[in-house]
Amino acid sequence: MKKIHIVAIGMIAVAIFILSRMAGDMSSYATFDQAEVSGKKVKIAGELVKEKEMVYKPEEDPNEFRFYLRDTDGKEHRVLLLRAKPQDFELAEQIVLTGRMKGDEFVATDYLTKCPSKYKDEEVFLKEKKS
Amino acid sequence: MEYIGEHLLPGKLGHLAIFLAFSAAFLSALAYYFGTRRRDTPEAANWKNIGRGAFLVHGLSVFSIIGIIFFLMINRYYEYQYVQAHTSDDLAFRYIFSAFWEGQEGSFLLWMFWHVVLGVVLMRTAGKWESPVMSTLSLVQVFLMSMILGVYIGWGDDPARIGSNPLMLLRNLVEAPIFNSADYLNLVQGNGLNPLLQNYWMTIHPPTLFLGFASTVVPFCFAVAGLWLRDHRDWMKPALKWALFSGAILGLGILMGGAWAYEALTFGGYWAWDPVENMSLVPWLMMVAGIHANLVGRNSGYSIKSAYIFYILSFLLVLYSTFLTRSGILGETSVHAFTEMGLEWQLIIFMAAFLGISIYLLISRNKGIPVPEKEEATASREFWMFIGALVLLFSSVLISGSTSLPVFNKIVTFFNPDFKPMVITDQVPHYNKYQLWIGVLIGLLSGAAQFMRYREPNWPKYNRKFLLHAGLSLGLSVALTALSLLWIQAKAWQYWLLLLAGWFAIISNLDFLITFIRGKIKLAASAFSHLGFGVMLIGILASGLNKQYISSNPFLMDGIIEGAEEDAAKKNIMLFKGVPMPMSGYQVTYVGDTIEGFTRTYTVNLKKQDADGKVSEEFNLHPNILYDKGFTKIAAYNPYTKRYVNKDIFTHITGLPEVEMDAEARKNREKNLNYKPVDLYPGAGFEMLDTVNLRDRDTFDLRRVTLTLEGVNFHPVHPEYDPKPGDIGLGARIRVTPAAGDTSYVVAPALVLRGQLAYTYPAQINELSMRIKLDESAIDRYIGIEGNLDFKEFRLKQGESAEFNGMPFRFAGVDRKPQNPGYVKEENDIAVGGLLEVTGPEGKRYLAQPVYYIRGAQPMNIRDYIPELGLYARFVSIDPATETMTFMLAQREAGPEALPVDVATNSFRSDFIVFQAIIFPGINLFWIGSLLMLSGLGLGLVNRLKNR
Repeated sequence: MKKIHIVAIGMIAVAIFILSRMAGDMSSYATFDQAEVSGKKVKIAGELVKEKEMVYKPEEDPNEFRFYLRDTDGKEHRVLLLRAKPQDFELAEQIVLTGRMKGDEFVATDYLTKCPSKYKDEEVFLKEKKS
Repeated sequence: MEYIGEHLLPGKLGHLAIFLAFSAAFLSALAYYFGTRRRDTPEAANWKNIGRGAFLVHGLSVFSIIGIIFFLMINRYYEYQYVQAHTSDDLAFRYIFSAFWEGQEGSFLLWMFWHVVLGVVLMRTAGKWESPVMSTLSLVQVFLMSMILGVYIGWGDDPARIGSNPLMLLRNLVEAPIFNSADYLNLVQGNGLNPLLQNYWMTIHPPTLFLGFASTVVPFCFAVAGLWLRDHRDWMKPALKWALFSGAILGLGILMGGAWAYEALTFGGYWAWDPVENMSLVPWLMMVAGIHANLVGRNSGYSIKSAYIFYILSFLLVLYSTFLTRSGILGETSVHAFTEMGLEWQLIIFMAAFLGISIYLLISRNKGIPVPEKEEATASREFWMFIGALVLLFSSVLISGSTSLPVFNKIVTFFNPDFKPMVITDQVPHYNKYQLWIGVLIGLLSGAAQFMRYREPNWPKYNRKFLLHAGLSLGLSVALTALSLLWIQAKAWQYWLLLLAGWFAIISNLDFLITFIRGKIKLAASAFSHLGFGVMLIGILASGLNKQYISSNPFLMDGIIEGAEEDAAKKNIMLFKGVPMPMSGYQVTYVGDTIEGFTRTYTVNLKKQDADGKVSEEFNLHPNILYDKGFTKIAAYNPYTKRYVNKDIFTHITGLPEVEMDAEARKNREKNLNYKPVDLYPGAGFEMLDTVNLRDRDTFDLRRVTLTLEGVNFHPVHPEYDPKPGDIGLGARIRVTPAAGDTSYVVAPALVLRGQLAYTYPAQINELSMRIKLDESAIDRYIGIEGNLDFKEFRLKQGESAEFNGMPFRFAGVDRKPQNPGYVKEENDIAVGGLLEVTGPEGKRYLAQPVYYIRGAQPMNIRDYIPELGLYARFVSIDPATETMTFMLAQREAGPEALPVDVATNSFRSDFIVFQAIIFPGINLFWIGSLLMLSGLGLGLVNRLKNR
């Protein structure tokens, strides 16, 4: 057997090892119930509950933004995001939060939002009426 | 229907050019194909000429399409959907390029543009390789052109669409009632360019990156040509030059993306392992692996097969990257916004076609690829270079594997609908922990392999020299690593190892540069690149590990959240205007802001203080925000970076008072304020109590303030008030004096009556959280409402006098060019101003000039008002026979006694910013290192071009 083959086999072995370990870095989107049970850091996907309040008072703490998220099971839960309120948060179609359950709040340290792609509605390309 | 104002000709020409570009690329691919197949027959030259001609026609057509789209964009012909979607009337000319490649169709065209340019260069330089290389390139162009073809194939309600045509008309793509009117174009406005992209980076980054992507096709074409012609050695020489070019440009493009993210966006870093970043890095890694295999092949005859595979993979990964980023499959895993084109299957076919061609060629030609009989020596440069290339391959497999998770999800979900899609929980650490080892291996290899020789002839004799240099370099690197750990705080041994690998790459390549090649620039390319890689590693460690958020504020953070991890997420500080705050060894003060256009630039002052409070350094930062059109929302927060040689202080605004961010919120806030009505008498003070909430929220304090009306005027000045003719204004000067303290504040709220509507312009005293506005009833009291007035009629000839309410007045004459601000002249008006000289109670004289005019056979009039007297005058008719003119006069109720104002306390302060500041130590090492690495590739290319 050539040396190159030994190296190749070694690399494949390492690759398989790493790939098997990788699963630990991954998770499916959790729900609030699962986050409650596990207590671990999870990712939760859901949508903003627009009817409920969003609280951001930078004069009290610029790093706290509270809102309600509806997870994929339809359960609504209060979220504390440890960030300044993101731009255009209300427009997000989907919100993905990384964090864990703490007491009665889901404390999120990171977020990703998916914003709607360009609208195809007529109003978008109509000039604003001058009044 | 006949539409008005459309410009259909350029569109028709464009469609023709698209069709022509597609067919010509097809013809070119075919002709070059036959030129290759029949290369040994006399007709080959004819085929080649047809191929050339067709490719030139294709190139000209591509340029025409681009030219036409630019023409449409510059003229803002919104009847074209692409123009409407990406430009707007207020888009500055310098962003037209950015708008062009903002859309997918435009970026495909940019890609094809570079392929055409590269194709023309290849025609002139490829020599005997022209036909096979151009045949493959033309075939790639056929597929790329199909992306913008916009042809429907099939029948029924849902025909398959091939490509998305950038020259489609808006009215053909969108169904909307406005297209029922022939002059719909008057109603259409452009969407404009995303404000985040209105940035010079958007002008220079995409062309560079796309040239990088486009250039990967050339080594690919040469690899295909080598396999196709079974000429496994000759192709490597031209391919190497192109690969060096591609590596340098693609690397530069990726680096620019990082610089953009770092400098202009608020990601807080230059690399985030975002899928889009990953998928541009991976083709580059494969290109670099290909360069190494190519060098090995040229110098020793080994690794030829690997060179084929790496170059092929590099191009296929560009296609895969295109698929991932443009199909929308990445969805919410990326911060980059994707617009879907609905061309997923077309992209898959594109990939599959070239994957198929590559696999077929590799398998069918496998046996003929030369492999030296003797195995490469373990102690040879070619062996370790090849191992290095394998490490790069390994890195690519890991990165692409993790990035492809959404693809995996999609496939599994297809077979098992109950499958829950998987995501990487913590993206950055996930990639870092594996790629760290790649960095260690590459750092060590790129140093050690330099001391080795190709086809080592006499290792037993040479190994002493090798061990001496490698050993000394390693020893010195260990010492330097230990030393630099004083500066870089790395807590895990893995980081120490990476640091060591970085130092080793630097030291050994410096050694190589000095003692082995004695500074000969012709041989120095690889040393530069590897040296740069080492410097880059140290820069990554310094700026990444010791990245420090200095904008946390201990006083506001106390005991709100437990747990270290969440604490680390607290990265912002709130700054009130003019109030200095302590911040990690700095004293920070929000000084003020200025608005220019849609940009609001803030000035934040930082003073570096030592433990005794002594200021050692002071500077200003200028982060800004960009409002959208109409100032209703914030479109972008732009960072500001203070640069030092050894670190950067990166700052940006993360939040503003809601009333500053959102016009809607401003309106609601105003409505919800608890205003108390107060009557202010001129000259007299009014004392009121104000409750002040304290921080612990259970107690409150009473504060006494005195309001004094210092004056009333009828020409108010207010920052938000834009005076218009016909306005009747009322302004007040009010002094507010808190009982405690010796400062007092003077504010000037205003009230304006425009037509039948009253507009209030409140004034805010942020220091007292107090807001004051004039009550609307002040109109009644100070100005009077015309409907409530009792007008008296006077018929006067010029020069006659009369008396009204005890005030004598004289009709002094007429003015054929009336000077009344309420009167706006139009063509064909017949207008006369009547000059009334009125003597007030104290003998002071006033002049009123009401206007009488005839517009379109209708008699009309404009009143005049003397605020000081409360006197209204109208000029209502002229009797030409008797030369008498009729005036109407009225005076509002007796002079005002009190000015009604509304005062709200506890109005929210609107004079603060939420601010973030990050220190990136040693970030310049990253930039210098990566640029050095790329310039090494460039130097390699230049040396080889000279050596022809």
